[in-house]
Amino acid sequence: MKALLDRADAYWRFAGTCTQCGHCTEACESLTRAGMSLGQIAKAMLEAQRTAATKEELAMNIAMNGDLVQAVRGCFFCTSCKNTCFAHNDVCDLIYNARVDFQNLGLIERAAWSSVLVDEEWDIFTAYRAIHGIGYVDLVRHKAYEGHEAETGLETAFFPGCSLAAYGPELTREIFQTMDEMTSGNLTMVDSCCGSSLKSAGFFDRAEALCDRNADELVAAGAKELVCVCPGCANDMKKALEKRGVHVEVRLLADWLHERGFQPKHPLPDGPLCLSKSCQDRDGTYLEQTREALGLDEGTFSIFNGCCGAGGAVSAFDPGRQAQQADSKLSFAPDGATVISMCPTCTYTYAYRLMESPRNVTNKHYCELLFDSQFDWDKTFAQLGGMWSGEYGPWLAQVFA
Amino acid sequence: MSETQVVAIIGWGTAGVNAAIALRAAGYAGVIRAFSDTDVPPYSPILTSYYVGGEKTYDECFPWSADELAELDVEVVSGSRVCLLNPARRLIRTEAGEEYTYTKCIVCVGARPTTVGFPAGCGYEPLVLRTMDDAARMKEAFNSSACERALVSGASMIALKCVEAALNCGINVSMVGMNDHVLDFSALPEAAARFERGLAAKGVGMRFGQTISQVEVLEGEPRKLRVTFSGGDVEEFDEIVVAHGVRSDFGFIAEGSVEIDRAIVVDDFMRTSASDVYAAGDAAQALDLVSSEKRVLGIWKTAALQGQCAGRAIAAELAGGEPEATDAYPGAIMTNTIAVNGTLFISAGASQAAEGQRVEVRETEDMTVACIYEPESDGSERLIGFNVASDTDEPGGAAYDTGAMLSLRIEEACRK
Repeated sequence: MKALLDRADAYWRFAGTCTQCGHCTEACESLTRAGMSLGQIAKAMLEAQRTAATKEELAMNIAMNGDLVQAVRGCFFCTSCKNTCFAHNDVCDLIYNARVDFQNLGLIERAAWSSVLVDEEWDIFTAYRAIHGIGYVDLVRHKAYEGHEAETGLETAFFPGCSLAAYGPELTREIFQTMDEMTSGNLTMVDSCCGSSLKSAGFFDRAEALCDRNADELVAAGAKELVCVCPGCANDMKKALEKRGVHVEVRLLADWLHERGFQPKHPLPDGPLCLSKSCQDRDGTYLEQTREALGLDEGTFSIFNGCCGAGGAVSAFDPGRQAQQADSKLSFAPDGATVISMCPTCTYTYAYRLMESPRNVTNKHYCELLFDSQFDWDKTFAQLGGMWSGEYGPWLAQVFA
Repeated sequence: MSETQVVAIIGWGTAGVNAAIALRAAGYAGVIRAFSDTDVPPYSPILTSYYVGGEKTYDECFPWSADELAELDVEVVSGSRVCLLNPARRLIRTEAGEEYTYTKCIVCVGARPTTVGFPAGCGYEPLVLRTMDDAARMKEAFNSSACERALVSGASMIALKCVEAALNCGINVSMVGMNDHVLDFSALPEAAARFERGLAAKGVGMRFGQTISQVEVLEGEPRKLRVTFSGGDVEEFDEIVVAHGVRSDFGFIAEGSVEIDRAIVVDDFMRTSASDVYAAGDAAQALDLVSSEKRVLGIWKTAALQGQCAGRAIAAELAGGEPEATDAYPGAIMTNTIAVNGTLFISAGASQAAEGQRVEVRETEDMTVACIYEPESDGSERLIGFNVASDTDEPGGAAYDTGAMLSLRIEEACRK
C-alpha cells in the first residue's frame, strides 16, 4: 500500500466501514454540492495517492479534484452526516485527517489560518485582548505574576475559552467572582484555548499538544475539577486528561452552577426560546444541563441542531457559506424569539450575522441569561474592525501575513 | 517476515476485506489468500435492496474498486466453496478439490438466508435477499410485468427492505409475520405501531401473528401463488419473499476443532479456541456492550471493525509480537436504521425490556421515542436501548439527531 499521504491508513480504515449507501450526502449541503459521500472522500484521497509518484503530484491530484476539496474544506464538523449515517461513521476523524494531509501538502492557504494559531504568542484573540487591555493575570492564581505568587492546591479551575475571555471580559470576571464565592476562594483560571481552530486548519498534533499543556497546567495547579463554558472546550480537555490518565473532572459551567443551587440573576426573556445545540454536544448531555441551569421546563422551548456557521473554518474557504449557514439556523427562530447558544463562538457568529442582516431575534449565550454582564457585540465588532486600520494595523498585518 | 507466511481469509466480504486492509496497513507483506464462493467481487449486502428497487445500479453495490482491491494484493480463490478447514493440519480444502495451507486463518463466511418455516416442496422457490445473485433474481421478478402483488414473509429489517424495494418497483405488497408487530425483535410495541401506521399509509398490507400455512402454485399465464395463512385467509400473489433471518454454516470446520456456540466464539482479538484461527463478522460471537455477553451482531460496521481487529492482531503476531491492548475489539451495540419510503425507524441497544427495566415512551406529532432503562445499584438508571419511529425521513433531521444522541448515551453508559 502506498503511503504518500500521512493519514492513508485512516482513509483505508474509514472506507472499509462505509457501505456507500450515500445517505450522508443528503444530510449535508457541502457533501451534496460535492456530490460525494463520506466513504467517497476517503476513496478519493486514496485514488489521488494511487496515481501520484511524488507528493507534488499528489497535491496536484487533490487540488484538481474540486469535489474533494469542497467536501474536505466545506465541512463544519456539525456531524449531521454522521448522525444520519446508518453506521454512525465518524466524519470528524475522517475530515480532521484529511485537513492534516491538506495542510502538509500545502493545500490550505496561509490566510485561512494565520490569525488562529492559538498555540503561538499572537492570534486574533490575544491580539484583540492586548490592544484593548483585556487580561486576567489576577485570576490565574496558580501562576506567579506581578502582584501575586503562584498558589497551589486550588481545586477548581475555570476555563472560559478564547471567545468569552476576549469578547466578554466583564462576563468572564462576573462568572469567576461567582465561582470564587462558591468555592470559598479555592479557584483559579486557565487562560488558554482548546485548539479547535488549529484542528480545523489541519494542525491536529498542535491542537493536541495545546490541550496537553493545559492538562499539565491543571496538574501543576493541583486542580481536581475543570469547569468549561463551552462544550467543545470540555470535550477536548476531557480527552486530553483521559489520555494522560489525569483524574480531573471536566464539567460544563451550567451543570456546575446548577448542582450548587445557583439561580439565574434575572428572569428568562419573554417570547419563544430556541436552544441552539452545540455541534460538540454529541449526546445532548450539555444541552440538558444548560436547560436545567436556565430553569427551562420541557416543552417550553425549541431546539435547533447543526452548526452556526463558524465550525471547521469554512468561512476561510467559502466566505459566503458562514452567513448562509447562520441564516439557515436563525431562520428556525420565530419572530421575537431569543436564540440561546451554548458555545460563545456560536453567539459571536449569530451576533455578526444579525449585525449584517438584522431580524427580530435576540441572541444570547446561556451565561448571559444566568449573569448580569452581557456581551456588547456592537462594541466588539467595532473594535475588531478598527484594529486593522488603527495604530496597530501595520503590526497586525505583519504578524498575520 | 518470511515469504512463506500465508494469511487465509475464508469469505471475501466486508470482514475479509477489512482484515486485508488492516494487515497491509500494519505492514504485513506476505501472502493473503481469500476464498470466495462467488465470482463477483466483495459487495455490500446493505445495498442489494436498493439495487432491486432501482435506487442503485448493479455496479454501485460493489464498495471497492478493482484498483483498491489490487492495491491490497490479495490472491482470490473464487467460485468454489471451502468445504474443509482443519486447524490441526492448517489445511483448507475447496469443493473443487484444491488444498491450501496457511499460517493464520480468518473465518468470515457471513451468513445465508434461511427459509425455515416456508412450506417446503410446494413447487415454488421463494425469493430471498442477501447476495447479488439473490438481488438479481428478485429484481427480475419484481420488474416482470406479471408481478403485481408480492407477499413478504417476515417482519425483520430485511423484510422491510424487501417491502421498500417492492414499493419502488410499483408492486402491491403485503407482509405476514408470526409476531404481533413489525420489526419483531428490534422494536417496542409503541414504536412499531407508528411504523406500521406509516407502512399502512403507503398501502402495505399487514397480517401479524400469523404464518404461511400453505402455498399452491396455480399454473397459467401468468402463474399465481395461492397462499393460505395460519389464520385461515387465502390470497393470491405473484411472488413471495422469505425473510426469516440468516444463519451461518460452519459445517466445513473440522468437528470439535473450534468452539462454536451460536457462532464462533472469539476473544478480544478475534482469536478462536483453535490456534491461529480467527473469526469476524456474522461468523463471530463477540462482545455486545449492552449485555456484556458475546453475541452475533450481524451489522456491516461490526463486521468491518472485527475484520480490522483480526488483521491487526495477526500482523502483530506474525511480526513476532503481541497485539496492542489498544487494538482490542472494543465491543459494539446493536444498531439498526431503516427507512421505508419516508417512514423511519432507528434503534440501538436492547430492544425488549426485561423484568425490572423501565420503558419510557414519548410521542410527538411526527415521532415516537421509546427508551429502555435499567436500574443501577446506586438507585440511578442507565439507558440500555431505544427506538425512534418517525413519520418523516429527513437526513440530518431531528429523528436522526435523536437516534445518534441516544446511541452515544448507551455506548457511553456501557463503557463506564
